[in-house]
Amino acid sequence: MEDLIIEGSHKNYFIPSVNFNSKTGICELSGESFLEDTVEFYKPLISWLEQYIDGVKNPIAFIIKLTYFNTSTSRCILDLLNILKDYEDENGEVVVNWHYDENDSDMEEDIEDYIIDTGLDINLIPF
Amino acid sequence: MEKNKEKAKVLYDMYSFASQNTIISYTGPFDSQVLAVLAANIEYSLSKNPRIRKKIFKIFIELAQNISYYSLEKLDAGDGNEFGIGILIIREFDNHFTFATGNIVDSKKISPVIHKCETINLLDRDSLRQYKRKLRNLPPGIKGGGNIGLVQVALTANNPLDYKLIPLSEEQSFYIINIKIDK
Repeated sequence: MEDLIIEGSHKNYFIPSVNFNSKTGICELSGESFLEDTVEFYKPLISWLEQYIDGVKNPIAFIIKLTYFNTSTSRCILDLLNILKDYEDENGEVVVNWHYDENDSDMEEDIEDYIIDTGLDINLIPF
Repeated sequence: MEKNKEKAKVLYDMYSFASQNTIISYTGPFDSQVLAVLAANIEYSLSKNPRIRKKIFKIFIELAQNISYYSLEKLDAGDGNEFGIGILIIREFDNHFTFATGNIVDSKKISPVIHKCETINLLDRDSLRQYKRKLRNLPPGIKGGGNIGLVQVALTANNPLDYKLIPLSEEQSFYIINIKIDK
């Protein structure tokens, strides 16, 4: 299975950096997310995770380092986390580490809301 | 001659209003290039206060997208894309900032938005977070957006949504939303 790598950018729209590694199971999503077509952008991320879970079946370490995302992105993040939660419920090994600016209390609340919403144990890691 | 004087007076009034305490003001189409320039302006003008800069930026993206999608007045970009036209003013006062947007809306379609503003203004922060989680689990609106934008704006500002609707005709109204962000 191939890795999924997308280089982020900060132009008219903000494209997050994606680095999903099929050998290590380390999947990182970082930068800022404000896209022209959010659903279209996150589709390959969702199908990559589904393929990995169906085929590779190894542990996943999901690392989020987003400093900004808009509300339509927040729906897609929920979709990704729900897939991870389903994997965990089927005895898959899942760790989610969410790095955030310690001065950003709004982001901290956002992560707490995802914990409530998905039932995943998301590790909050301030920097 | 009289008419020109009147026009000059109107322009001066507009200028005095728009320049008082104003950091950024813009009227026109909200296409992606304009959004990028305004976003860069926000980052630059508020660079001394990263916390406020981030809040205003988040509010800006949601409200600017609302204008772009939902304003009744559109600019045809010629490439099959249309962008809504509206106004945005960010002002700074001693203890707070205000963020206001305005655009023309279809009077028949605005009632769900007003209903949403009223609902948001009745909720405390915890209930508002709960409301956002509930809406986020419902199917998305156009371009994956809609529904949660205004809730997110209220959460980010941590203040009620002050809105007004000015009827222009039977079909059209001018919708203004004014957000206060404490320093």
